Amino acid sequence: MIGIETLFIAVALYICLHFLVGIYAYDRYKKGKSIVSNSFVYALSITVYCTSWTYYGSVGRAATTGLDFIAIYLGPSLAAFTWWFILRKIVRISKENNITSIADFISSRYGKSQFLGAIITLIAVMGIIPYIALQLKAVSSTFAIICQHPSFVVPPLLQESFFIKNPGLLFALFISIFGILFGARTLATQERHEGLVAAIAFESIVKLIAFLSVGIYVTYYLFDGFSDIFQKMSAAHPALFHQLTTFGENSEFSYANWATNLFLAMGSVMLLPRQFQIMVIENSDENHIKEAMWRFPAYLFAINFFVIPIAFAGIILNGSNNGADYFVLTIPMNTGHPWLALFVFLGGFSAAAGMVIAESVATSTMLLNHLFMPLLLRLRTKESLSTLILALKRMSIFLVVFLGYAYYQIIGNTFMLVNIGLISFSAAAQLAPPVIGAMYWKRGNAAGAIAGILGGFSVWFYTLMLPSFIKSGWIDTDLLEKGLFGLAILKPTELFGLTGLGMWSNTLFWSMFFNIGGYLLFSILLEQNEIEREQSIKFLDPYANGLHTDQWETKRLSKQVTIIEFVNLMENFIGEKEAHAAISIYLTEHEIDENGMVSEFELPSLKRFAEKTIAGSVGAAAAKAIVENYLSDIGSQMESFYDAFKSVRSSLEESREALYVRLRSSEIMNRSNDLRLITKELLELLLSEFKFDLGVVRLLQPDGSLVKYSVKHSQYGEVNLPDSILPGEDFFINELLSSSRPQFANDTRNISRYPNRAVTPIESFAAFAHIPIIGEGEPLGVLSVFSASIVGLFTEELISLLSSLAGQLAQAVKLVEEREAREQEKREKDVALLINATVNHEMEIAKQIQLSLLPEAPPLLPGIQIASLCVPAEHVGGDYYDFFVSDDRIIDAVIADVSGHNVGAALIMVETRSVLRAQIKITSTPGEILSNLNALLMNDLTRAELFISMFYIKYDTVTQWLTYSSAGHNQPLLYKITEGRCQTLDAEGMIIGVKENVNFEDRATLLDPGDILLLYTDGVTEAANIDEEAFGIERLAALLEDIHDEPLQQIIDAIYRSIISFSGTNRLADDVSIVAMRVEHSVIDQQD
Amino acid sequence: MKPEHLKHSFFKRLSLRESWIIFFILGIIMLNYPFIHIFNKHVTFMSIPLLYFYIIGGWFVSILVILLFTRSIKPESSRDDGSTDK
Repeated sequence: MIGIETLFIAVALYICLHFLVGIYAYDRYKKGKSIVSNSFVYALSITVYCTSWTYYGSVGRAATTGLDFIAIYLGPSLAAFTWWFILRKIVRISKENNITSIADFISSRYGKSQFLGAIITLIAVMGIIPYIALQLKAVSSTFAIICQHPSFVVPPLLQESFFIKNPGLLFALFISIFGILFGARTLATQERHEGLVAAIAFESIVKLIAFLSVGIYVTYYLFDGFSDIFQKMSAAHPALFHQLTTFGENSEFSYANWATNLFLAMGSVMLLPRQFQIMVIENSDENHIKEAMWRFPAYLFAINFFVIPIAFAGIILNGSNNGADYFVLTIPMNTGHPWLALFVFLGGFSAAAGMVIAESVATSTMLLNHLFMPLLLRLRTKESLSTLILALKRMSIFLVVFLGYAYYQIIGNTFMLVNIGLISFSAAAQLAPPVIGAMYWKRGNAAGAIAGILGGFSVWFYTLMLPSFIKSGWIDTDLLEKGLFGLAILKPTELFGLTGLGMWSNTLFWSMFFNIGGYLLFSILLEQNEIEREQSIKFLDPYANGLHTDQWETKRLSKQVTIIEFVNLMENFIGEKEAHAAISIYLTEHEIDENGMVSEFELPSLKRFAEKTIAGSVGAAAAKAIVENYLSDIGSQMESFYDAFKSVRSSLEESREALYVRLRSSEIMNRSNDLRLITKELLELLLSEFKFDLGVVRLLQPDGSLVKYSVKHSQYGEVNLPDSILPGEDFFINELLSSSRPQFANDTRNISRYPNRAVTPIESFAAFAHIPIIGEGEPLGVLSVFSASIVGLFTEELISLLSSLAGQLAQAVKLVEEREAREQEKREKDVALLINATVNHEMEIAKQIQLSLLPEAPPLLPGIQIASLCVPAEHVGGDYYDFFVSDDRIIDAVIADVSGHNVGAALIMVETRSVLRAQIKITSTPGEILSNLNALLMNDLTRAELFISMFYIKYDTVTQWLTYSSAGHNQPLLYKITEGRCQTLDAEGMIIGVKENVNFEDRATLLDPGDILLLYTDGVTEAANIDEEAFGIERLAALLEDIHDEPLQQIIDAIYRSIISFSGTNRLADDVSIVAMRVEHSVIDQQD
Repeated sequence: MKPEHLKHSFFKRLSLRESWIIFFILGIIMLNYPFIHIFNKHVTFMSIPLLYFYIIGGWFVSILVILLFTRSIKPESSRDDGSTDK
């Protein structure tokens, strides 16, 4: 004897345990340490297939109709054979497309049809509400059975209590709260409900252990094993035994019934909304399917292993099969084991709870996505809907559970309810043709799916639902017995005169006949639209990973949409956090430009991404409507590019036209060197091939401007274009040059940045593209093409082709530029040569003039011989010598060297000469002359940064006195005939041009006839040989001593030759000037 | 043939898509009319009714066959559509 409060406490604890399991699993999931993501839990959760209908009902059916209950479990076991192909494919497709339910799966495949989703949802709700009611009934009934059993003591106070009277209501409340907590926590896309799955897996363990406990208890405790039960059954009820263990007399019906149950169960295990939810949506890893394929059948086998023994034991113990539905519960109670009964009750509770939780979550998703969302979207509100959607989703769970409760309250114990399991299976089977066709038949279309489902469901309703209503006594039985309008041929259970098959087989046959027939017929009769084609490719080969997508995007958005706009849209439906998380994933795989935009060719993919993300929350059909509504609100839509390449293309190859254009353009480039001709022919080719109305080639100039180089236009493209533009004048050109990327607009009505009308005349054209001409990474110019009428002309493929042509053009431009550069260089060289020649010529003249400034010939004066030589190193030099004769007896000679031997030095030399000539007349001594020269030339020399060294002599032929003064000049040599050797002359004095007011010392010496005075510049003594050794004064003196009796001119020539031969291959670096004087005799002597 | 080689070859055949389909269809045929008609008799086998024994036995065998099949799935084949005969 157990007090009823024990039951309450057990149930309460058990419910608490549910929440704990759910919370723990959710917590672990959030921490990334899932306890659910493994093949054991996956297989266990799939056994939500075993509801209380099977938990209690299997024994009931085994005790009343025999072995056919096994078909319900054997079918899924056999179906598991196909899971590695079919289920895995469904899972893959669903993950790739953010599928949310079975209705979403089908509607998504067939063109994201809202209508298809809606009818599947409606029918699913029709089939599922009674099924949920059945679970509530099972819990209520078993609770009532326990309460009424003498093993359980119910205090009188509690007998009329709310809890005892309404266990179903409490159960429904628990389920809805649990479902909302763990099945509708967020709107996040593709979030699996791990808390929910964990609870279901937990329930599956409890129901299996409970059932096995009863089985072992009955078979091995109450009886002596299988044989014992069968023998006792056979002995006690031989007729019933035979009836239950064979397919009996009416075997035609039984075989058909068996096959029907087998097929219905095979389909239902994947197609019932809760099964799809658990097996597909909640699947975390495709590899879990592999283990589930045998674990799930093994579970079914185990839970059914003791069904027949329990059923027979019940019959034996009970004397008949009355109340066989609850044998599992009543046998332990009647044999004095209320604790076991309590455990069994919890097992049944688990079976019911698991089913209702999974089913309510799955159905609420369908309700929300396929019925509520389409209605909500009609409102076209701009407000964020995410809160409302979440509330609706939670409300839907509540709604589904309580509709089930209401159904149970109103209808109660009728035929309908008892058979609802199989009725649901039959309804689910209607989804088999469109689901299988979705994955394996390319042509299947929405019209076919709708026709098939509507046809199949009509038959299902007429032959199954209606008879159920009739048998439940709500409708007159005439229809069932005589047929519609009294026509026997329309009798629901023997439709079109097909008798002897039984109700289930009749329905299955005719519904599949119309379903498959309608599906095939309409799919073949009607064409698929574009979305259907697109989706069918995705569903047929989900493993392709984008292999089937075209190489080039064929769609465009007629008006640009920013990423932010898409994020805002997603926020409205999935919430802010989720939207930002989603877009950041997208952006890691895609490029965005500096303006935070994706390229025009990326936009359709972004649109699809946004649609898919929203689909994860509201289903594909609603998501499609949402995104399309949004785009049309901002005046944009997806449309096809104008197909410039008209031929049918294979996805990986270029179209024939593109190849032709490439070929032609390379011909043009190769045929000529003339850039004008090349650009002209290229533009002609583009205009004729792509229907452009204007083509312009502009080339970038060194000054940064773009000069119009070549223009071609059709009759519609005649506009005035400026000859030269600056890049900054036009937004697109500027962008193009700074980014080196093509700039284009496929619809000039919708561009956000307005270009310079003179450069990009948008009012005359519908679409344009500026393509950079880039050679070796440097922009060389811009190829611009315009179309007057065709919107959406510039596909990624066309832009890519134009870019490639511009690349070819760049090579031609580069070649021409190089050729021009070479020619320019040659011209410059010629000019330089010419200038050089002119300068040389001028310098030659200067040289002649300078040389002419030197004394033409030494003066002839009695008593002295003079000879001189001057060889400038360059054209002009800085050396200078001069002679002045006065009073026919005195000769002044000067030798000077202006630092440097360039034009400047030459000019200073000229100035020096002029100043000196003026000074001669007014001064007397050499020192004075040098002093005056220094004062007069100081300023000019300082400015020119030049100096002068000078040696000045004055010789009186009568007295034979030589006076001299030096301004830092080389010391002249004096060959004294009396001594037979040379001495040097020196006097104190500074170089001219260093300091003002310098005193120059005058010195004097008496000469003898035969003495030779040699004045020279540093070009003589500093002449260097190849070893950088200077000629030197010693060598000069030695030479002079050697040849002192030669004629004076020969002495000078010999010195010069000696210098030349000394320096060898070294050019003389400095001007060489030599003046020589030989004293002959005293004039007075002569006179004497 | 060595046992190792035999085993390898056996699993290779088993992993063919055709093998799956054949065994799936075989399961449906063998556990359906008219096959089960053979066992639809008032006969007991070790005091267990023949039809019941056959169905339960057939079921058990089918689970074993699936288990064998799942062992033939190579880890890498999970990336394509499961068949190795492409």
